[in-house]
Amino acid sequence: MNTTRTVRRSAALLLVAALSTTVAACGSDDSASSGGGSSAAVTNIGFWDPYPQYDDSSDWAKYVQACAPEGATITRTAAPNTDLINNLTTAVKEDNAPEVVFLDNPAVPEASASGLLVPIDEVGIAASDADPNLAGPGTVDGKTYGVPLGANTLGLYYNEKVLKDAGVDPSGITDWASLNAALEKVTGAGHKGITFAGIPGEEGTFQFLPWFWGAGANLKDIGSPEAVAAGQLVSDWIGKGYAPKSAITDNQSASWDLFLTGDYGFAENGSWFAKSAADEKFPIAMMPIPAKDGGAAPVPTGGEFGVVPLHKENAQAHYAAAKAVIDCLLSSDNQVKTDNMLGYFTANQETRTEQIAAEPVYTSWTDAIDNAQGRTTDLGTAYLQTSAALSKAEQAALNAAGDAGQVKSAFEAAAQETQG
Amino acid sequence: MSRNSAATPTLERRATRAAAADRVADAAGDRPRRRRRRWAGVAFVAPLVVYLVVFYAYPLVENVSMSLHRFTRATYITGEAPYVGTEIYREVLTAPAFVPTVQQTAVFVVGSLVFQYVIGLGLAVFFHRHFPLSIVLRGLFLVPWLLPIIVSATTWQWMMDADSGILNRFLGLFGLDPVWWLGADNSLWAVTIANIWLGIPFNLVILYSGLQNIPADLYEAAALDGAGAWRRFVSITLPLLRPVSAITLLLGFVYTLKVVDIIWITTTGTGTSQTLATWAYGMAFGKGTSAVIRYSEASVVGTILLVLALVMGVVYLVVQRRDQEA
Repeated sequence: MNTTRTVRRSAALLLVAALSTTVAACGSDDSASSGGGSSAAVTNIGFWDPYPQYDDSSDWAKYVQACAPEGATITRTAAPNTDLINNLTTAVKEDNAPEVVFLDNPAVPEASASGLLVPIDEVGIAASDADPNLAGPGTVDGKTYGVPLGANTLGLYYNEKVLKDAGVDPSGITDWASLNAALEKVTGAGHKGITFAGIPGEEGTFQFLPWFWGAGANLKDIGSPEAVAAGQLVSDWIGKGYAPKSAITDNQSASWDLFLTGDYGFAENGSWFAKSAADEKFPIAMMPIPAKDGGAAPVPTGGEFGVVPLHKENAQAHYAAAKAVIDCLLSSDNQVKTDNMLGYFTANQETRTEQIAAEPVYTSWTDAIDNAQGRTTDLGTAYLQTSAALSKAEQAALNAAGDAGQVKSAFEAAAQETQG
Repeated sequence: MSRNSAATPTLERRATRAAAADRVADAAGDRPRRRRRRWAGVAFVAPLVVYLVVFYAYPLVENVSMSLHRFTRATYITGEAPYVGTEIYREVLTAPAFVPTVQQTAVFVVGSLVFQYVIGLGLAVFFHRHFPLSIVLRGLFLVPWLLPIIVSATTWQWMMDADSGILNRFLGLFGLDPVWWLGADNSLWAVTIANIWLGIPFNLVILYSGLQNIPADLYEAAALDGAGAWRRFVSITLPLLRPVSAITLLLGFVYTLKVVDIIWITTTGTGTSQTLATWAYGMAFGKGTSAVIRYSEASVVGTILLVLALVMGVVYLVVQRRDQEA
């Protein structure tokens, strides 16, 4: 009897001891953070970007870290685009957001409308001298929330060897009809046709937009006959075997890998592959994506914005650190270096001309980037919803494998969804 | 059973002794000591209660509350989430995607369970008769369980590739037309097949250990009475395996209902492969074709999943109780 009671008492004591140490730990933690955060400069600067392909030992990581102001260090965290805004949401809520985030441009309106970001003029960052078509997504309701760090866009790569073998002259491809004729010739000669990324979500929409806009369709009405025509084009590619059926789940890296097998004639993909394409085993060239009735189709701008997340406590110190880092990475003078690092074009036409002059593989991209459109420019925060509906319609169109009735009803249903 | 009844007297004896001790304490008029003992009891239970409240009750309550308030991304910053009652439930239940998603979920769960159980049981019976290399072979059957799902799901995606996948090449050997496994119409069957493969080891392991608890003399006696292999299986193995089967199926149901990873990696939940779980995942994190975050809608679907799992739990308890009474 006595022993059990002793055991109980010591157990209870242990519990109390455990609880009190936890409480004490919490307490000391609190005092430390509030003591250090009264108004002192931020010494550990948080920096998030969507480039998980560059690890801590990469040149990019070192380049970013070199931008830390005197007496501070930069801690870089990389996560895929879709995760970045979710992580940022909870971080801002807990008031431990990083000082600087490189956020994908279509996510900027949503992030600023949700109150995650601070307008850059409140932080003291000068408005950038970026071209209006590239700076567009950063401005919401007249306020500018981000500095474009450069731009990328889409083009139509082709395998010169395959085209030569099939007897296709690339300069003759000027509209959809001549592109389809070329695809027929290429597949007829025993090669494969074209790779593109039809994966559900924003990435798939990004790749679909050149055809969508090239048909004359507008994001404000995604059920229009022009939109259906774009859906029919990609649907027929699957139906006729020009494109791999895996396009419905391929992302841009996967579809590029397929193209690099050397079997395919064409690949719709991003300018960020332009440099590495020059070093591949077979000769790769690029042409602007053709519009339905000829000429170059408008292509969407890709690329991130440097944004400053909201801080509550000691905000000015956080913003000062953010300004230092963004100035270092994205000011007009430094942007070329940053963009060359990432395979992006600079956002300003003047510096871009110099950049392209120094790098001959970029020459064919000049027009594409000058004419590229911001995805969110027409719709603002409503873009994400429309993009999701468009992605669903494209998925249905690809699955229809050419069936015109199904393609049409898919786009009409998507249009209804955006209105409802 | 027999082990339990042996344990009971000891427990009873101990309880009687404790009660006697209490009486002695009472007789001595020592009330504070009794109170102290009650507090010690509370202290012992407290860690468990705290754990349950923090990690079970709180998230559940929060989930239900989220489904009754309209949460947006801005809610995290402003804290504004207007109470809308059952409005979001009505929206989800009348959404065009709801009924097909429920049907697909039913096909996925029932199809997975039936095949996993039947194949798992067949293999368990097979390995129950020891033969050379049986342990090695049984070990090999556990591989699907040990592989990270990202690996196995990606492998399934390659094998099911419509243009160059090994499955279609295999079909081609028999002159069959290639199947677009991951296309919208077939993707439900494709992910169900992958999930069956994934769940067989679990069924095999549990049913195999259940088989080992069936006394061998029952089989000997039945064989002496002239019962054939099939008769022994139906009249001895199946009935005696009932409790183990019930828990295997219940756990399998709960696991399968909440499967996201294998579906998401192979098809991103496209076409017919969308289940309640992948639908909720897409809406909660703005993934796939659900670019806009819909926390509240996702928590409605989460609540539905929870209720379904709970219902199955109750069914299991009822079945178990009836078994014990019988």
